[in-house]
Amino acid sequence: MPSVTFDHVRKSFGDAVVVEDFDLTVADGELLVLVGGSGSGKSTILRMVAGLEEVTSGTIRIDATDVTQLPPRARDVAMVFQDYGLYPHMSVRENLSLGLRIRKIAATEIDRRVTWAAGMLGLAPLLDRKPKQLSGGQRQRVAMGRAMVREPKVFLFDEPLSNLDAGLRAQMRIEIGGLQRRLKTTTIYVTHDQVEAMTLGDRIVVLADGRIQQIGRPIDLYRAPVNRFVAGFIGTPPMNFVEGGLREENGQLSFIAAGVSIKLRRDNAAKAKNGEPLTLGIRPEDLRLDTSPDRAAGAAPDGDALPGRVVLVERLGGTSHVHFDVEGGGSRLMASVSNDQLPDVGDTIRVRVPPERVHLFGSDGKTISNST
Amino acid sequence: MLRRIGLYAGLALAALTFIYPFLWMASSTFKPREEFGSLALIPAHFTLDNYRTMWARAPFGRALLNSTMVATTITLAVLVFGSITAYAMARLTFRGRPVLNAATLAVLLVPGQLTLIPLYTLIVQLGWIDTYTALIVPYLFNATAILMLRQFFLQIPQSLIDAARMDGMSEMRILFTIFWPLSKPVLSIVAIFTFMGSWNEVLWPLLVVRDQQLMTLPQLLTVFALGGGAGSVGVSLASAMVLVIPVVVAYAFLQRNFIESMAGAGIKG
Repeated sequence: MPSVTFDHVRKSFGDAVVVEDFDLTVADGELLVLVGGSGSGKSTILRMVAGLEEVTSGTIRIDATDVTQLPPRARDVAMVFQDYGLYPHMSVRENLSLGLRIRKIAATEIDRRVTWAAGMLGLAPLLDRKPKQLSGGQRQRVAMGRAMVREPKVFLFDEPLSNLDAGLRAQMRIEIGGLQRRLKTTTIYVTHDQVEAMTLGDRIVVLADGRIQQIGRPIDLYRAPVNRFVAGFIGTPPMNFVEGGLREENGQLSFIAAGVSIKLRRDNAAKAKNGEPLTLGIRPEDLRLDTSPDRAAGAAPDGDALPGRVVLVERLGGTSHVHFDVEGGGSRLMASVSNDQLPDVGDTIRVRVPPERVHLFGSDGKTISNST
Repeated sequence: MLRRIGLYAGLALAALTFIYPFLWMASSTFKPREEFGSLALIPAHFTLDNYRTMWARAPFGRALLNSTMVATTITLAVLVFGSITAYAMARLTFRGRPVLNAATLAVLLVPGQLTLIPLYTLIVQLGWIDTYTALIVPYLFNATAILMLRQFFLQIPQSLIDAARMDGMSEMRILFTIFWPLSKPVLSIVAIFTFMGSWNEVLWPLLVVRDQQLMTLPQLLTVFALGGGAGSVGVSLASAMVLVIPVVVAYAFLQRNFIESMAGAGIKG
């Protein structure tokens, strides 16, 4: 199986730059996820690999072959589209086999591959139906089957699950992951859904405004985001942010914001300057709810306790989200907690911020320190 | 219930006022000369003399063949060339596309009568007078058809084109194997309008064809009836029937598509 190499790829439409200096190698057999919000350029990158969009400058190579100027049919890649792109007037069998027939593959070989893909995807009983007679999940499978029968060098997935309902999306996500591991085909997968990115990707590329923000294994992006954008984008529920600054008193470093004073460890803030505006980030699952009423404020042994007033409790079953306003300040934070001791709306609570879990970001958004 | 009966009676009456003159015409072609004054729809003495006379006096069979050939060729050309042009205008990006769109629209603003004389002069220069070429070539492209097809093609999802390109199809193949089957409604509308328009055209053939053997049916009919060749109302009507029947037959074949597409014209597929 081949690799895909992007060499300083740039794409602009007129004056608007959509992708800037995209430079990356997708390893042989790897499942690489491109994730980002709308307008981040992720689909454009995929379409450039497919040959559906021209590259403004730079080159794209599949293995050693420069495919930058090749038409889609000469690239030996297959793509699964967001709205499936199934031919409505053809049966499932025809949809699956059309690409092979155009490539003049022998009929027996076409039969073999269609049977193989249909078996793998549970489409065998549906081969003579038209796309209109299929459910969303079945159409999705046909779209995948059409890519599989081609036995391409590279699979491209363009938000393939975004038209499915939540349950089906989770199921298809698992199927796609399993399929890719079995086939070992190099895959580039585009999504705006960071859960899909985290669960599917061998590596994730986070994009914003056409630029790579960070490349890494899912867990690395989660633990050590390089900037505030990645920190906020990766992880559900999203990271809490508090704007403030650093203060040093009697050798003790603290993060200070309206109503907030959090003691930090020295290694947290080694690179931060005193008084520089900073953003503190803390993941909801790292906040510890302290519901015992008799504790003194600000004296917890493993960090500082913020006093807060509960404004919303979202009960999700296994865990719950407690939204609270920090007293004396404007910050609204969220803690993800187990269901043991849930406060009610209006209750005053104390929330401990473990210093080893704190992320700090500079005024330029870049990470100063991550949790240890 | 009474209201309903009233409604249907009213509708039936309205329908009758439309269909009666046509039925009268049809039946009159089977009446002998003496019966033309009668409003009855069933001839008292059935006869085919009107048709025999007509057939004997002018080459109607040949004209029917000419008309069919000319109208069919033009319709096929308009569909093929029209959809190729429309596909490019709707789905391909190339330099000058906005100009092409505007120019196509501008063609519609020029009345056909205005171009008649320059076109005629051109045909004379080319030496095409009294040829099928003169009847066919000026109609091979049709701006209305291009714009209708373009509008329809714009609504076909981009992912189908993308998928087809990934499957290895050329643009031409995408047009004919993906777009055409999905565009049956608009293709049949364009086909019917083009066929009827070409079939009923009288003025242009009158200008460029003088040889009776090359005349189209409406042209021959006009020359025949206005030139006094018919000699009787019955014969005139018989020739009019010959003119109408192919159009009615074509409509009957395509009417399901036709009505569907008229009904669905405003609804996104």
